[in-house]
Parts: sequence; structure tokens; C-alpha cells
Amino acid sequence: MTELNLVIDGAAAKNIWHYLDDDAPLTDAPSIITLTRLKAEADSLASRTAPLGVILHADGLGKTDQGEDVRELAPYIDQLALVALHFPIYRNGRGYSAARVLRQEFNFAGELRATGDVLYDQWAMMNRCGINAFELADNVSLETFQTALGELSGAYQPAADATRGALWARSGK
Amino acid sequence: MYRYDEFDHQLVADRVSQFRGQVERRVSGALTEDQFKPLRLMNGVYLQLHAYMLRVAIPYGTLRSEQMRMLAHIARKYDRGYSHFTTRQNIQYNWPALDKIPDLLDELATVEMHAIQTSGNCIRNVTSDQYAGAIADEVEDPRIISEIIRQWSTFHPEFTYLPRKFKIAVTGHENDRAAIKLHDIGIVVKQNSAGEIGYEVHVGGGQGRTPFVAKKMTDFVPKEKLLAYLEAVMRVYNMLGRRDNSYKARIKILVHETGQEEMQRLVEAEFAKIDASDMLTVPQEEIDRISAYFAPPAFETLPAESETFTQAQAADADVARFVRANVVAHKQAGYAIVNISLKPIGGVPGDATDTQMDVIADLAENHSLDEVRVTHEQNLVLPHVKLDDVKAVYDALAAHELATANLGLISDQIACPGLDYCNLANARSIPLAQEISERFADLDRQYDIGELKIKISGCINACGHHHVGHIGILGVDKKGTEFYQISLGGAADENAAIGQITGRAFTEEDIVDAIETVVTTYTDLRADGERFIDTYNRLGMAPFKERLYD
Repeated sequence: MTELNLVIDGAAAKNIWHYLDDDAPLTDAPSIITLTRLKAEADSLASRTAPLGVILHADGLGKTDQGEDVRELAPYIDQLALVALHFPIYRNGRGYSAARVLRQEFNFAGELRATGDVLYDQWAMMNRCGINAFELADNVSLETFQTALGELSGAYQPAADATRGALWARSGK
Repeated sequence: MYRYDEFDHQLVADRVSQFRGQVERRVSGALTEDQFKPLRLMNGVYLQLHAYMLRVAIPYGTLRSEQMRMLAHIARKYDRGYSHFTTRQNIQYNWPALDKIPDLLDELATVEMHAIQTSGNCIRNVTSDQYAGAIADEVEDPRIISEIIRQWSTFHPEFTYLPRKFKIAVTGHENDRAAIKLHDIGIVVKQNSAGEIGYEVHVGGGQGRTPFVAKKMTDFVPKEKLLAYLEAVMRVYNMLGRRDNSYKARIKILVHETGQEEMQRLVEAEFAKIDASDMLTVPQEEIDRISAYFAPPAFETLPAESETFTQAQAADADVARFVRANVVAHKQAGYAIVNISLKPIGGVPGDATDTQMDVIADLAENHSLDEVRVTHEQNLVLPHVKLDDVKAVYDALAAHELATANLGLISDQIACPGLDYCNLANARSIPLAQEISERFADLDRQYDIGELKIKISGCINACGHHHVGHIGILGVDKKGTEFYQISLGGAADENAAIGQITGRAFTEEDIVDAIETVVTTYTDLRADGERFIDTYNRLGMAPFKERLYD
């Protein structure tokens, strides 16, 4: 397994997870499987005690494919320790909504990881939507990551982070 | 008018400094042009045919005099001494140097202005009625909720990489001057039977290559819950909107393909979840704070009639014509709304020079309680002019070619920048607008023709709103030659409609004659008091088609 340049909750972290191909055998190692496999093997996975994660794709193959629906994770959410949101290209922003649904509708408290085309100018927005783990390119330093997160000193609106938003904060709400 | 607090100031300053960093990373090569593109777009910087273009936001079309003066200063210092007011109440500079744009933005920030989200696949500048707070019979000043929406949508972390751009417009009056039904979301301020203010919400309007009039999603959302409702619409769109084809990516396509009822169901389900969390319910204190900024300005108590005003019209036919075409009744006795046409005969629609902008800033300061408005039809407005002052205002405008008395008439056209500036265009728009304007230059003829809105787009993207022109003109390219297609019967007001194409397109040589044929067909066939659009709606396409092609 290649070493990932991983940041979790703003600090450098060691990756313990494997992305697992659909035809690879599932072991007790922390494994990230596809939504297809999660649904197909739901019965046998129900008794799994080792850490389980799933990757959600924002794009699909069909002409009008909307990508995978985050709400399909609802029945399995208590079994999941990690959800990886795949950004096929930085300008596909579907994963931002998926992150907020996971955090604020499902109250998902596990690791929410951004993977794929995840770049400097998107980290802060992702962070505000509840993504707490970032797979960074090898040449990106932790300092660079922290600088990016601090570029805007505040926000007008609430999201999935602790920032309440000026529209509320001004009146002390 | 809204004034920034420390928080607003800081956020704009942060954005300028962030953009400065992005420009530096682009110049150093750390960012590829492809990676830089959405970043610069989200700060209003386009790469056009000849140069970078900067689009500056004028939230809901309202400016103070110092802001107008700054816009003039920027035109002088960073551009070629003029600028262009757009159909989205923004202003564009066509020739700034990329490395100077951060400095330009620093200067703009000193007067509470910016270029944030004037482009890119995010929620754009909120637009509204140019007569807000000045016209009688308004349910509520639409700028109150527009400002709340501006704040909520600024740097919204979830909606910064939408499938496509997203435009919101608000009207507080039953006569829609903001073309709300041609927007991704159109909002009408309403009062319910209990006397409470809320909003009717329309979703999925738009122009471009697939025009749609927006569908009504709800009759009434209470004021404090509107942001929750908007967030629900946005989330449905962000999750389900198409990203496989940019021509199918606007919310109008999602609404069309999903169906109005199913879309309503999806939005209501999302809204119920967000509303239950209460997290987007705007505190009453904050609504009150923002509303206070839009309280009526300090109007003087004046008689409803002004002798000075009446005499000025009697003494000078030009003043009388200006009043007839460009001056609109104000809600406050003794005041008037004065429209400034940026459509001089033979001019470029929406352009203004630095000197003209300075003159308008002075007039706003001295005669309009410090306010100027920008209209989606690319004109300006002095919203609060005393009747006693109209003549003085007229004189100052006339001295700077700003007193063309053609508001709403055939020479008051919308035109996109077209092939003269735009790298998407198929045909020139500005020269055609100029030719039509010259052809109908005689103001008495224009008054005889009456209200007639010509809208010209240089390509199918429809920035010139041709779909909703009473007469729409679309530039098309056929084997390297520019042709123009005519459509009739469009409307952008409360009776919004998409125009119908007359038939085959006309050459550059024939198009102005064809427009004249349409106009004379109308004047020949109109019944007493009928405007062009009324005659068209009564008779339909047939008589026009017959005259154009037989």
C-alpha cells in the first residue's frame, strides 16, 4: 500500500484504510468498499465487527447518471466508520451536498474523507461541509493546508462546521 | 441602503487577498489555466476575445454616489474610460490587466463593492426591481430579502461548484421589472391574509438555447424560512442536476425533465428536513437590522404638484418629451423616478463613460438622496428626484448625452456585447442595435410606435434576452456569414413568454428592413390603444409572417 499524504481533523495522520476492489476478498483489515458491494453483501456485512468504509462516486457512466445517491447509505450508516467522497474533478460539487446530508441528516460521526481531484481552493469549503479527512497530493505540506483553511476569516451562513454564520452571530443566535 | 459592518468588510478584504494569492499562483505556474479558470470566474474575471474582462457586482442594482464615482474612477484608471452595464445589474470592464485586478479590487472594497460570484457555477449577484422603495403599491422593499439572500449565498460552501451558474431575482411589486420568471429562482414578495410577509417562489426559468418560463414551486414561504427553502432547492439541484452536458446543466432542465410536481415534492421533502433543524431560520433581530437599512430615506413633505415642473415642460418641448418617456410617478408626493437611458441614438446599449458616471454620481448626491439604480434593461435610474429638480437634472443629463427620451421605446434595446467582444458570439449585436436605433431615430415616430422592446443576442446563449423581446433578434452563423433570426411575442414581465421564431433568418443587409416591416405591420393593424405586444397577442404570427416572407 502506498503511503497517503493524509490530513485528519487538521493534523497529519497515518492511513489505516484500504480501498478494496469489488472482487477482492474482504478481510478484517479496515476496508473501503463500493456502494454496490455494500448493498449486495448487506446480509453478511451486518455481522462484521472490523472497521468498514464505503466510497461514494459523484459521477457515473450513463449519459444522465447523477452519481451515487448518498441517501442509499441510510440503512447502513451505523455500520460505517468511514465514508469516502470521490471528486472525479474538482468542479463536480455533488460531494459537498453528500457531506452535509451525512453530517446533518444522518448525524454521521465517523471519518468523512475527500478523495480524487481535491485541490487547495476547495479544501476550506469541503471542511465547512463536514469533510474532516483529506487525501492530499504528495507535495502538499500541512502548513499549506492550514493556510488554505484560514483564507476566509468568517462565514455568513451555517454549514456542517461550528461556524454559526454572521446572519445569526450578529444577534447572538 | 445597506452598509457593511466589520464582518462584511473583513470578508471582502479576505477575498481580495485570497484572489491576489490565486493570481500569483497562476502567474508562477502553480495553478494551470484550467485550475485557475473557475477561481477567476468566481471572482468575475473572464478571458474574452481580446483581453480579460472584469464583472463587478451591483447587488440588487443599488448604488450610492460614492460607489458610482468609484466605478468611474476604475474606468479611467484601469480601463479605457468607459464601462458597460449588464442585464444582471452588474458592470463590466473590458480591458483590465490581470495583474492589476487585485489592486482594482482593493479600491472597490473601500466603497463596499466587489466582484464576488459575478461568474462561475455558483449563486450569482441577486437582482431586483430598479424602482424598489420608490414605486407605489410595493408589498415590501424587495432589497431587504435580496440582501439577506446576498449574504446567505456569499461563499456558500455547499453551492460553490454547482452543475451550472445560478441566478436569483426578486420583485416586491406585481409589475415585474426584474424578469423574475426568467431566472433559476424568481421570488415575488407576497402578503398573506394574516398580513404577514412571505414569498412566492418560481423555479427553473431561463433563456439560453432552451428557454423556459419558471414554474411556481410554492405560493408562500414565511419570511424567516426563505433561506431554508432556497437551501432545499439548491440541494436538490446540486445532487440531481446534470453534469454530463453543460447545455443540460441548468436547473430549468432538471425541472423540465423531473416535472413540476415531482420537483415540488423533492423540494418540500428537503425543506421539511432543513426546517425541522431550524438552523436556517433567520433571527427576527437580524431581519430587523437589515430592514432598517432600507427604511424610506428622508423625504421632504412636498405638495403633489410642482409649478416649476409643470412650467419647465410647457416651456421646453424636449423637457416635456423627457418627462413623458423617462419620468415615472413616485410613491412620495412631490418626487419622481427619473430614468436615464443608456441608449442614445446610434450608441452602444449599456455603455457609459467615466465622465458620464461622475455626472450621474453628482446628480444622485445632490438630487436623488444619494441613490442610483441599475436596470436589467441596461439603463440607470435616479429613484428619488424632487419634481422641482427634474428640470435641473434633465439639463445636466442633456449636457452629457444622457437625456435620450426613449425609455421602453423601440430604440431602448437590450443587446449583448456580441462578436465585437465575446468569444462565444456568432454575430455582431452592437452594430445592429445601432443601425436599428438610427433607422427609428425620430422620437415622434418612436412615441407613435409606443412600447416596444427589441432584444438582441449575438448567439444562442441569449445574453441579449432575445427570447423575451417583443421583437427578439438572434445572430446566427451560416457558413461564415452572419444571419439574424427574428422572434415575436416574447415578454419578460409578469406575463413572461418566450417569443416565436418568424421563419428563415435575414441577412445583415435585410434585417433592419425586416424589423421595419414588423413594426409597420403592427402600426397598420393595431386597434386603439394597443401596444405591439397586445396586437401580436391578438392576431398571432400570421400577419407578420405574411408581410415578412410573401
